[in-house]
Amino acid sequence: MLDMRGIHKRFGAVVALNDASLSVNKGEILALAGSNGSGKSTMIKVLAGLVAPNSGKIYFDGKEVAIHSGTDSVKEGIATAFQDLSLIPTMSVQDNILLGCEPKKNGFVDEKKARAIVLDLLEKFHIDCDPDDYVQTLMPSTQSMLEVAKAVYRKPKILLLDEVTASLHYDEIETLFGIMRELKAEGVSMIYVTHRMNEIFQICDTITIMRSSNTVISGKVSDFSLDDIVYYMTGARPQHSDTVAEKVEDFADRELVVDVKDLAISPKVKDISMKAYKGEIVGIGGLEGQGQSEVIRAILGAVKPEGGSIEYLGKKTKFKAPADGVKAGIGFISGERNVEAMFPIRPISENIFAGNSAKKSMFKFLTSKEVRKFSQDAVDKYNIKIGKLKDPASSLSGGNQQKLVVARWIAMKPNLLLLDDPTKGVDIHSRQEIHDIIRDCAANGMTVIISASDTEELMNISERIYVFYEGKVAAMLAGAEKTEEHLVSAMMGINDNLKEELAE
Amino acid sequence: MKSIGASFRRFRRKPAFTGFILFLVVLLLNIIVQGWSQCLSKGFSVGNALAFFQPTSLNSIFMSNMPFILVTIGQALLLLVGQMDVSIGVQIALVNVVCIMVPQQTGCPTWVGWLVGFAAAFAISALAGVCCSVLRLPSLLATYAMTFLIQGINVLIMAVPQGVVPRAYWKPYQSTVYGLFENPPSFLKFLDYIPVAALVLIAVLLIWHFFSRRPFGKHIYAVGTNQRNAFAAGINPVSTQMKAFLIKGFFVGVAGICLTLMSASGNPLQCEEYGIKSLSAAIIGGMGWGGWGSISCGVFGGGFLVLIQNAVYYFFTLLSKLFNGFAVTSYWHNFVSDIIIFGGLLMTLVTAREQRKTLQQGLKSQFKRGEKNVK
Repeated sequence: MLDMRGIHKRFGAVVALNDASLSVNKGEILALAGSNGSGKSTMIKVLAGLVAPNSGKIYFDGKEVAIHSGTDSVKEGIATAFQDLSLIPTMSVQDNILLGCEPKKNGFVDEKKARAIVLDLLEKFHIDCDPDDYVQTLMPSTQSMLEVAKAVYRKPKILLLDEVTASLHYDEIETLFGIMRELKAEGVSMIYVTHRMNEIFQICDTITIMRSSNTVISGKVSDFSLDDIVYYMTGARPQHSDTVAEKVEDFADRELVVDVKDLAISPKVKDISMKAYKGEIVGIGGLEGQGQSEVIRAILGAVKPEGGSIEYLGKKTKFKAPADGVKAGIGFISGERNVEAMFPIRPISENIFAGNSAKKSMFKFLTSKEVRKFSQDAVDKYNIKIGKLKDPASSLSGGNQQKLVVARWIAMKPNLLLLDDPTKGVDIHSRQEIHDIIRDCAANGMTVIISASDTEELMNISERIYVFYEGKVAAMLAGAEKTEEHLVSAMMGINDNLKEELAE
Repeated sequence: MKSIGASFRRFRRKPAFTGFILFLVVLLLNIIVQGWSQCLSKGFSVGNALAFFQPTSLNSIFMSNMPFILVTIGQALLLLVGQMDVSIGVQIALVNVVCIMVPQQTGCPTWVGWLVGFAAAFAISALAGVCCSVLRLPSLLATYAMTFLIQGINVLIMAVPQGVVPRAYWKPYQSTVYGLFENPPSFLKFLDYIPVAALVLIAVLLIWHFFSRRPFGKHIYAVGTNQRNAFAAGINPVSTQMKAFLIKGFFVGVAGICLTLMSASGNPLQCEEYGIKSLSAAIIGGMGWGGWGSISCGVFGGGFLVLIQNAVYYFFTLLSKLFNGFAVTSYWHNFVSDIIIFGGLLMTLVTAREQRKTLQQGLKSQFKRGEKNVK
């Protein structure tokens, strides 16, 4: 019924989709699986009309169609429930569900019919709220259900569901699956994106697996085993181990730098405990959005935890803002350079010096010579390829920009360096250089906590890896346990419970 | 009784609630101050105590402030779609000079001048819309720049204040409904309490009601809050914003004609301050920046500002009667009313906190439900 062939999409230098394809038949539920950055969400966005592919064809019932906008997508009978929700928080539940497809009578909104439709949908989805409630007052799981209800209301021929179960409760998922089966019986096709393996086996008929922007394999779910799916997603056979207990005897003589206990930050972080010792590189692994960046930011003081405690150098932290964390000797490097770390139109020298100026007192005199010398040293030491120090930071390549940010922090000699996916969109050579710098620093006694979406990178650089799954630590891998197979298995949330469940 | 309580609770969560309360407070203040002042000079009677409701008093308030209230409504509409127009004040001056100069220069009937005035209002609003929503210039800067452009055009059309409007046109606007009749029967005397200008406001609100019940009335909220999500839902944000600008153009046209009828002459350099004033009025009325509020916020906010100025005027008249020889310049009037307006803006913070509290309560009850269902 729907056929996408040879879809290419580039965002600047980053390839998001490379010859990706998928097809789904009438009344079929297709699971779209893939690990971090494999392009699942981009595929969904192409169908929803939010991303225009560079090339490739989309066929609908054998006819080629062009989807340039949300309107086109709706016209073709495609409805989407987005992962990051498309609800308007300041509008009522009723207006949100009907938005863009209001029932009309003589050009006016038919309020009576609208109310009836919405009450019916709320009943069907077991959503407990008033149609006049503002969406911003509802809790995340209710909003997710509304997002699906909104898509279902459009009576689509194809329903796209992008990680909608991530914030749902157990009973809500049951309701949702019931509705999906009903729709399937009515002949609606669905594309279901999820990272929960059990859901694939529970509800889906066919599966398409993507890896690094490409479609790897498609087929019937019944033809795949759990291990097969993980293998195609990651290139490694999962190997499950029960030993997730902390084996930290080796470190008993080392100084404890960070001790996170039972950390909770809604909605993503549920219960995280982890430790980092002096001179150690600790990795944080997991699929995207399992709470990694929240934990890192909580240590820095940028996010306030709701539960649990963070101890830094034996004392409970009371950072009100990242600046307090920086004063206490914590450095932070983000993968989102442009958003969180760079001042693109300011000179390179100022960019390198930026962290240092936060440390100085407000009225202290700062000469441009001092700034120049400081930054020239950093440029030489870390081999950053620049034109002139006066050039804007945006003139650098992605890799050199990231090296600049790394240099900025390391020059300040922090006790603890936090890195949140630092090599996102960085070329392989610069990535290597950044790794070298980090290893060098750790050898000199700096503690490093690094989160990375790339499993290979994580395996390479970290001594121990905490694997996050749905806001909890799924495994702590160290020593002989630290294998790619174990890592992959923990990332996918594969444990004994899941295996038993699937065996049934 | 229960349903009244429920509908009051529902109203309390509405954005217009702030503006409504502020409006009521200042209305009460105005009634008291004006009545007191009247009683002091003419002796106490029920009629004097309620001087505010005298036909002449009501009529003059509506008649002279209708342009500002209409402009505030237009501003509120733009705020809803996430835009604004600070040149809205000089736009009504543009309509004013066109309405005067076209008949004066060409000799055509006055109503033709009005049509041209409307056309000018639409054209200038369309231009603002293209700048702000199609070209995506920051609306504050773009429309501020347009203020000077439009004032230039105004002066080109009419160099100095001048012109007349035939009595047959301005007389009805400035009278009450009762005054429209030649020899009115006395049982229609109650119509004296309804100014013609108030009918204009009602007509404009009815026309808005017509638009608000169409899907467009919902789409403006989506576009004002989050353009991406609106786009994903199949709404065209640019065309929605353009429509809002054009409807605002209609409000500007009506406001400009009211201004012409009120002054019965033309002035190319008037009403510039309405641009910012209408913004603050809309915010006091409960509007947020994009997607939060309603047209009633504009009505209440505009009414608040109008009544404050009126009340302060009578307050000083009252003072001069209470204390012999008390006299101040009109700067003091502005000073006091501006302080109260500033207080009103601060009030919006308080009420916003009130709304946040209800929000938190809602969240809490939702979380309780969530815990119940966790297995």
